[in-house]
Order: sequence, then C-alpha cells, then structure tokens
Amino acid sequence: MPPKTATDLVLSAQDIHKSFGAQEVLKGITLGARNHDVISILGTSGSGKSTFLRCLNCLEIPNSGSVAVHGEEIVFRNGRIGDQRQIERMRRHLGMVFQQFNLWTHRTALENVMEGPVQVKRMAKPEARDLAEALLARVGLADRMHHYPAMLSGGQQQRVAIARALAMEPDVILFDEPTSALDPELVGEVLKVMQDLAAEGRTMIVVTHEMAFARDVSTEVVFLNEGRIAEQGPPDKLFDHPETEVFARFISKTRRDIA
Amino acid sequence: MSLIESLSANLPKLLDGLETTLLLTGLGAALAAVFSPGLALIRLGGPTPAKVLLRIYISFMRGTPLLAQLFLVFYGSGQFRAELTALGLWSFFRDPFNCAVLVFVLNSCAYQTEILRGGLQAVPPGEIEAARAIGMTRAQVLARVTFPHAYRIAWPALGNEVILLMKASALASIVTVFDLMGRTRQIFSRSFEFSVYFEAAALYLLITVVFVFLWRQIERRLTRPMRRTQGN
Ligand SMILES: Nc1ncnc2c1ncn2[C@@H]1O[C@H](COP(=O)(O)OP(=O)(O)OP(=O)(O)O)[C@@H](O)[C@H]1O
Ligand SMILES: [Mg+2]
Repeated sequence: MPPKTATDLVLSAQDIHKSFGAQEVLKGITLGARNHDVISILGTSGSGKSTFLRCLNCLEIPNSGSVAVHGEEIVFRNGRIGDQRQIERMRRHLGMVFQQFNLWTHRTALENVMEGPVQVKRMAKPEARDLAEALLARVGLADRMHHYPAMLSGGQQQRVAIARALAMEPDVILFDEPTSALDPELVGEVLKVMQDLAAEGRTMIVVTHEMAFARDVSTEVVFLNEGRIAEQGPPDKLFDHPETEVFARFISKTRRDIA
Repeated sequence: MSLIESLSANLPKLLDGLETTLLLTGLGAALAAVFSPGLALIRLGGPTPAKVLLRIYISFMRGTPLLAQLFLVFYGSGQFRAELTALGLWSFFRDPFNCAVLVFVLNSCAYQTEILRGGLQAVPPGEIEAARAIGMTRAQVLARVTFPHAYRIAWPALGNEVILLMKASALASIVTVFDLMGRTRQIFSRSFEFSVYFEAAALYLLITVVFVFLWRQIERRLTRPMRRTQGN
C-alpha cells in the first residue's frame, strides 16, 4: 500500500483527544482515509470506537485535535464548538449509519431518504423523490417505500438508513456497528449492501464486530485499545501476524465466539 | 312549561353564550399555543435567569386558583386605571372579556409549556442525532424532527388541557363575562327556572364530546406512523 499523503485524504483526523469528565476516552488518535478506502475499526467494548467515529462528524466535540474533510479543516480547542456553520457544512460530506438505525419514525422510508436532499441540499422534491426511489430500490426496498419504520424489520430499517446516508452523496460514510442491533438472520442483508458499496469504491469507516467483514472487505484495519490505536494495517497482515499481545488475544477471543 | 319549550325559549341566549365560551377558550388556548414552543425550549435549554423566571411564572400559574388570577387582573387593573390609561391600555382592561382572555392565555400557556417540555424530553435522542449528522441546522432539526415528534407525544395531554380550560372558562361569568355560564345565570336570575342549568350542562357536554372526537381523529392521523398496525 503506497503511503498516504495529505492531499490524498478525503477525511483526516489529527491527534484527537476526548474526555468525559475525568475519564480520557481518546488519547490522541490520528487516522486518514483516502478515496475508496474501507477502514474497519475494531476494539473491545469501551475502547472508544463510537466516540472516535462521533468525533469525526462532531456529534462529540473533541477536546483537542483537528478533523479535515474535503480540504476544510476544523481545529478543536478546549472542547468548544467553533463555527456551527462550518460543522454543518462538514457534516454534509459525511454520511452516518447508526447501530440503532435512528430513522425518523414519523416519516415513511421514502420521506426519510428524501429529507436530507430536500432540506439540506435544497433539491427540488420531484428530483429528490426520483433519487430516493432509486436508492431504496438499490438496497432492495422498492416495495417498502411507503412503509413507516415501525412496519419494517431491523434489517430493512438499516437499509433505509444506508439509503438515507447515500442520498447526500457523501464523500465518506461512517458506520457505527451497523449490524449489532440486528437478529442474526438479518445481519447478512445489511452486510451485503455494505459489501456492494465497498465494491463500488465508496469510502467507508466502519466500526464493527464482524470479523469476516473486517478481513474480507476492508482495505485497512485499525485496532483501538484504551483510547489509542494499538494496531493498524492491511487486514491480511494484521490478522495473520498480530504484533501486539492485546490484538492477538482479541482475535483469538472472537474466533472462539464464532466457533 | 315543558323542557322543550323552555329550551327553545332560552336557546338563542344560550347559543350566544356558547359562542363567547368557544371564543374565550379558543383564543386562550390558541394564543397560549403560539408561545408555548419557545417557552418550552427556554425551559429546557435557555439561559439560567430566563429558566428561573419561567419556573416562577409556571409555578404561580399552576399553583394558584384560576379564579384568583381572574380577580387579580380584573379588579387589579381597576386599581391602576390611571397608569393603564396613560399607557393606552385601559380600553383593553376595561372589557372583562379581554381580561378573561389574557388570564386564560397566561394560565394555559404555563400548562402547555410543561406538557410540551415533557414531549420534547421524550423525543428519541437518536432521531435528533440523525438529523444533526445529515447536516441540518439547529432550526431545521427542531422544525423537522424534534417538534413534530414532541407534538405527537404531547397531543393527548394538550387536548386534555383544552377541555379543562373550556370548563374553567365558566369562571369568567363571575367577572361579568356573558359566556354560556354567564347567560345561564342571567336567565336563572330572571326566571328561577332550574332547568336552564341542565340545558347549559348539556351544551357543555356536547362541545366536549365533539371536541374529543375531533381531537382523537387528529391524534389517530398523527400517531399512525408509530403504530405497527397501520390501518385507518
Ligand atoms: N456521553 C458520554 N458521557 C460519559 N461517558 C461516555 C459517553 N460516551 C461514552 N462514554 C464512555 O467512553 C468510553 C468509550 O465509549 P464508546 O462508546 O466510545 O466505546 P465503544 O468502543 O464504542 O464500545 P462498544 O463496543 O460497547 O460500543 C466508555 O467508557 C463510555 O462509558
Ligand atoms: Mg460503540
């Protein structure tokens, strides 16, 4: 893998620190994503994976560090929000898919997907409708467009959420354990959609416990431990030759879980 | 005199009173509804001094009898006639109807603010985060996600508040407003026909029943998305 240079990066985070009260959850994390990268973030529960992902789109405001998206950099000092407008602008380039789907329950699948383009991008409604219909068809929900989230299975809801993120044509899509809230038999349909996105060359950062996805789909794996990156590299190298004791233990433990 | 005859004789006056009752309640509830969303937001996340003032106002409105509030404004304004005249406000306070509307707005606004605050707090945080994550401005998040959801949660309680206000509006008759209760008392004082009170009660019941029906219809529509079975 050629080394990453600053100009390649669509998204980069520099030395992110984040504390909740006295507890320092992120202790300086630097990570960059180039176009077409699929980065899997692994780590034990509580290692700070979600917090890091949420720092990338400022759902959590880091105490220090910086995030640059699409060439625009936001520098954090003392955990304060700088320019709210800049944050909103930056979020338009980042899609996010949540563990609990977080669809808007008072809107149909179609309305959920149309909402961002219409409200945020000011796209004309007929155009947004066409876009939303095409995206829902792509995630296999052509026949569920007018359903409300309460009428959809978890897997279907998560696919709507993915379509909702895609509708903004983001440079990078962030996934926070997108399959962890799903019944086992529904995991496959969501992973399949994500795999297709990766194959299409979408840039993705995925917090996941799905080892097969990390290994087979991602271009890079990052292992977080106690708020720091403990290991990072191409999946084959990492999984076959873990360098640290913690990561070795982590994989052997998950192997046992699968077996 | 039979009940029918008595009713038909009293009806024009009672209907005139009914109109005033509806106007009083409608204006009170609607104007309160204009202010309650902003106040509920301040209640939850405003600057501390504003929050404190708001809590004092709400405690006062909910903790004292509506009748006392009516007297305070109706008789109180008389005490300040000179000052109010100087401010050009006396013509407003001179009319008991206006005083009653003012009190109802202030009173209902306190209740509605509290109801809406509860609704806002019950909106799933994940839905708000999803809206922020997509790049919505704060105002858009409120208008597109937070309030639509909060009103769905608060809707039944808000309907209850309007019904309570409608019934409490009968108190306005004590400060000489000729609402339904005012007309009823007037008729009774002239004829000593006890049945007029039954007629008034029937009219109050009628408007409550109609209101509850309409409110439920809207509620069904609003909450249809949240139900798993989405018939009707
Ligand atoms: N809003 C918050 N306030 C206080 N502490 C928090 C908050 N969010 C996270 N934490 C703490 O930060 C630490 C890291 O949490 P985080 O959710 O990032 O972990 P995670 O790696 O995503 O874990 P999991 O695999 O369980 O999702 C935890 O100890 C958690 O308790
Ligand atoms: Mg997490």
